[in-house]
Amino acid sequence: MYEALVNALDPLELQYELIFVDDGSRDDTYKIANNLAIADSRLRVIKFRRNYGQTPAMAAGIDNARGKVLITMDGDLQNDPKDIPNFLKKINEGYDIVVGWRYNRQDKLVSRKIPSKIANWIIGKVTGVPVKDNGCSLKAYRRTLIQEIPLYSDMHRFIPAMASLSGARIAEIKVQHHSRVFGESKYGLWRIYKVLIDLLSIKTIVSFASRPLIWFSILASVASTISLAAFGYWVVVPSLDPNGSILMMMGVSMLFGCLAIFMLLSGVLCELIYKTGDNKIEDLSKLTFKL
Amino acid sequence: MSQNIDLSVIIPITERHDNIQELYYEYKKAVEQTSLTYEFVYVMDGPFPDLNEELTALKDKGEKLKVIMLAKWFGEATALKIGFENTSGELIMTLPAYQQVDSSELPRLVHSIEGQDMVVARRWPRKDSALNRLQSNVFNFLMRLQTGVELHDLGCSVRVFRRRVIREVEIYGDLHRFLPVLANRYGFKVLEVKTSQSQKDMFQRIYSSGLYVRRLLDLLSVMFLIKFTKKPLRFFGLVGMGTIFVGAVATAYLIMERLVFDMSLADRPALMISSLFIVLGAQILSIGLIGEIIIFSHSKQLKEYTIDRIIN
Repeated sequence: MYEALVNALDPLELQYELIFVDDGSRDDTYKIANNLAIADSRLRVIKFRRNYGQTPAMAAGIDNARGKVLITMDGDLQNDPKDIPNFLKKINEGYDIVVGWRYNRQDKLVSRKIPSKIANWIIGKVTGVPVKDNGCSLKAYRRTLIQEIPLYSDMHRFIPAMASLSGARIAEIKVQHHSRVFGESKYGLWRIYKVLIDLLSIKTIVSFASRPLIWFSILASVASTISLAAFGYWVVVPSLDPNGSILMMMGVSMLFGCLAIFMLLSGVLCELIYKTGDNKIEDLSKLTFKL
Repeated sequence: MSQNIDLSVIIPITERHDNIQELYYEYKKAVEQTSLTYEFVYVMDGPFPDLNEELTALKDKGEKLKVIMLAKWFGEATALKIGFENTSGELIMTLPAYQQVDSSELPRLVHSIEGQDMVVARRWPRKDSALNRLQSNVFNFLMRLQTGVELHDLGCSVRVFRRRVIREVEIYGDLHRFLPVLANRYGFKVLEVKTSQSQKDMFQRIYSSGLYVRRLLDLLSVMFLIKFTKKPLRFFGLVGMGTIFVGAVATAYLIMERLVFDMSLADRPALMISSLFIVLGAQILSIGLIGEIIIFSHSKQLKEYTIDRIIN
């Protein structure tokens, strides 16, 4: 991998550094990387004490990077370093983030490509950032921008969405894809649940973090509707059907009414939390304004 | 002091304690057998004027110890941290202010740190009463279940670890008990060593029910901190959605009964209960969302990963 990178980057005549993040690997990877780094000081290796996951690995690399432009890639040769010059070109055109789109995906159709397409469509609709291939790790960023974007816990898939908080200009270019040579990917019910829940978090954050009251008001209005419906039932049914019973409906109505109030107050609480936090979305506007 | 200290022994004093002076001499004898340069630091978690006198008396006799007294009760973890900040040894050993382990075993424990980051003692074979052992077993079993870490005696305060462990692992309140678990979580190498239990560790541990509840809550919070710090919605989402699901299914069933079987919907409590489940689930979900906002608002200061080293 090191060789492929060096071969692709040397001809560009740029000052570059390579950062390998060792996320608790157990084989010889670290030793090999160590030796390479001793030989070539452009290679830096960050070693985690144990396995933390893809997002922390990416975050560590980003936090410690020094170049003006950052490129993130897969560690298993699925991405091709020869695509890098195209990314740099787009950045120079004025974009803040460039994402790759694996045009000719070398994966099984039914079990990988179709769920992926569906997932990407859902993510695009929910976050409002229609990236065609969220799973492609090959992306380019301006360092000053990406170092300020909050990145934690499995959020690497949603970086474009988080970055959109700052109004970043995003471009998408086609990249080559090589089939997975090593390793297996894990899917399954828990993973799907995690992605959906994360989507809910991201949606909450991206759309409403600075105005949480609005999101909670929306939720509260759903509860209020149910409450009013039950109340309506309580009022209307006795006149329609004297034998019909409406005893519980008042209770149900009040229950959902309480829920609505609870949600509104939660929204108010979140306003307070956001105000006293140190992560202000408005500050991100500084990163992308044009003079 | 200008001398280089290898081993700092921290002894936090909280509720109960044995004869402090006797214990000190015992510990000192054991530590001297390790041939390491050492210092003793006593941290009193709250005012203990009598002990203060005794320890000061020892100091006046020329013994190498520091005495720190906290103004009020803060918790053993805090006491530990303060003790740590006032030491300079590369290795730290925590010892309880009462007998738990045969002091003659301490040198062996200290030497086991070779190649590890933390060594914890496990009292084995147990000599104390069945009730004590039962409580200990249950607690440690629950902990193993939740965290998957193979430790058997979290109640034993005899531990040896390197400086950077306590520098990086955050503990507060009563969580000192879980230090090995958290250290393991941070990627440190933790070794459990069977140590023979002291004859004097026969204290009948019959605690108030309040204490049991607190321990269980500690266990819960540790588990929560370990698994869900950065994504609270995953935990609350699971519970919340599960509850909503139960409620929704029940409500749908009741409505179906009303429409199909003409069983009355609103004059029995069933609808109330099913609605309650839905409402409860929605509230749990909301709390999860609040959690997410909290994490987001502080994400600048929360570092998820621990770097072992950076080359170049």
